[in-house]
Amino acid sequence: MISVYHYLILSAIIFSIGTFGVLTRKNAIVIFMCIELMLNSVNLTFIALSRHLQNMDGQIFVFFVMAVAAAEAAVGLALMIAFYRNRESIDTDDFNMLKW
Amino acid sequence: MATWIFYILGAVAVVATAMAVTRRNPVHSVIYLVNSFFALAMIFYLLGAPLVAAWEVIIYAGAIMVLFLFIIMMLELSPGEEADRQGPGALQWLPVLLLGAALLTCTLLLLQLDPAAGQAVPNWYASPRDFGYVLFHEYALAVEIVSFQLLFAAVGAFYVGRAASREKQPGGQQ
Amino acid sequence: MPEWLIIGLLIVAKLGLIFMVLLTLAAYLVLAERKILGRMQLRPGPNRVGPFGLMQPLADVIKLLTKEDFIPARADKWLFILAPGLAAVTALLTFAVVPFGPPLTLFGHQVPLVVCDLNIGVLFFLGLSSLAVYGMTLGGWASNSKYSLMGAIRGLSQLISYELSMGLALVPVVMLARSFSLTDIVMAQADVPFALVNPLAFLIFLISAVAESKRIPFDLPEAENELVGGFHTEYSGMRFGLFFVGEYINLIILGSMLTVFFLGGWMGPFLPGVVWFSIKVLFVCFFFIWVRGTMPRLRYDQLMHFGWKILLPLSLLNVLLTGALLLWRQG
Repeated sequence: MISVYHYLILSAIIFSIGTFGVLTRKNAIVIFMCIELMLNSVNLTFIALSRHLQNMDGQIFVFFVMAVAAAEAAVGLALMIAFYRNRESIDTDDFNMLKW
Repeated sequence: MATWIFYILGAVAVVATAMAVTRRNPVHSVIYLVNSFFALAMIFYLLGAPLVAAWEVIIYAGAIMVLFLFIIMMLELSPGEEADRQGPGALQWLPVLLLGAALLTCTLLLLQLDPAAGQAVPNWYASPRDFGYVLFHEYALAVEIVSFQLLFAAVGAFYVGRAASREKQPGGQQ
Repeated sequence: MPEWLIIGLLIVAKLGLIFMVLLTLAAYLVLAERKILGRMQLRPGPNRVGPFGLMQPLADVIKLLTKEDFIPARADKWLFILAPGLAAVTALLTFAVVPFGPPLTLFGHQVPLVVCDLNIGVLFFLGLSSLAVYGMTLGGWASNSKYSLMGAIRGLSQLISYELSMGLALVPVVMLARSFSLTDIVMAQADVPFALVNPLAFLIFLISAVAESKRIPFDLPEAENELVGGFHTEYSGMRFGLFFVGEYINLIILGSMLTVFFLGGWMGPFLPGVVWFSIKVLFVCFFFIWVRGTMPRLRYDQLMHFGWKILLPLSLLNVLLTGALLLWRQG
């Protein structure tokens, strides 16, 4: 028997792994991917609770999360290309232009 | 039956996620992440949300991850480049690991407190028709706002990419 | 026999049948392409192996299987091995939702002539076609060769650009049929095929389909005279064969999708449904080969401008117009 509990635990595990990735990795693109991962674990929570509460609203929110994630990926990757053109690197240690 | 499928998919999702986060080579990360998204999409299907499962594959695996792959390939981020710069050492990882573990335990404990959490999830199937009805009736304004946001994002991405290419040209002549 | 056993056996039988037919068809499509192109260029085409060269596909398979299997030094070995399989599998899987005939009555059972009639069939097709990018891209990246990488990057940007207009061209179809299920979409075309109801969507989908199949005039990912072989430059033997077969299966898939969405699927007078379906699919395949024989290759910037500045706005406009017309007709 699976309860909503199981889904929420799975979501929490994935979210924690995503947080771990964001905090430890140095490659900006990988950090970005970890953020997408965390958004996805939240999607899982939304869907599980949507079913638990027999309500469509959770799925609607997943739809909006996906739209926001797509917009975020487009802008974020454009920023990364702009940064790479200046610095020839996307290592987060090189993101230090405010330190001048 | 559904229980076993859930456990298998959950294990796949967790392992693929862990691999994605720890790989040195960003292309390998992308592949593991796509695997994890697949497992999640199938879990969504199990949860009676076929439409969201399809979007998970089309939008995340088929569009966003492809975009990441494109950028990684275009910038030619070879695996050696990142290997030169070692990530933080084990000592610096420890606080992060502890933080993650604390986050996880707190979530689990909070979940335990909810009396309804142990109940089996009821059967529920969201057909595309119902979904569309709710989306365009109750959330019509939100849909408009999100579509504007997508437009702004497209314009913004275009502008950022373009401005940088103009800046680079005088720099290249020096 | 219990009910579930019959259903399971029927599904396995359908899968096996489709698998065999698709692979054979793909092999003979290669021969047909070479023959037709030959005739268009005033030469006979392959005619040495067997009568009229009909055994040529078999000879090709033997040749591919016995060739040296080559993996470049410093290639990403696992991805290099995995990529061609990915390309072939994503192409094959799509056929699971294609209805190739009206429901059949067999042993007192209603047997729908489709492996599984998903109620999100259209999205299944779009999802798999967006995954098809991975086989090509990873193959090109893993080869560790500049031609492969160039081909992969070109192919990637081309496929994601044209997928958009392809998906948007399907929106009017879904609006007209009021369903995501491919069987329902065919049923909705019982009177008039959607190609006549909405010719603009048909045209956009047709162009995008040619672009998705990476064929002339959109064959930039493997432009021979610029990139050697494009993303599969470093591949040899059966791995190259898998890419090749995947490409032709993809051609059949796109042909059947065009048939299902716009040409009325199995609907047609006099002949049985399966025959009509095959005729339409083969005709679309012939059209693709014909295009290859006549058109020159686009330049890369022309390709991108055409996709983003012409096809995409047109398909958005088409969605708007179709929606407005449907609302107006409803009163």
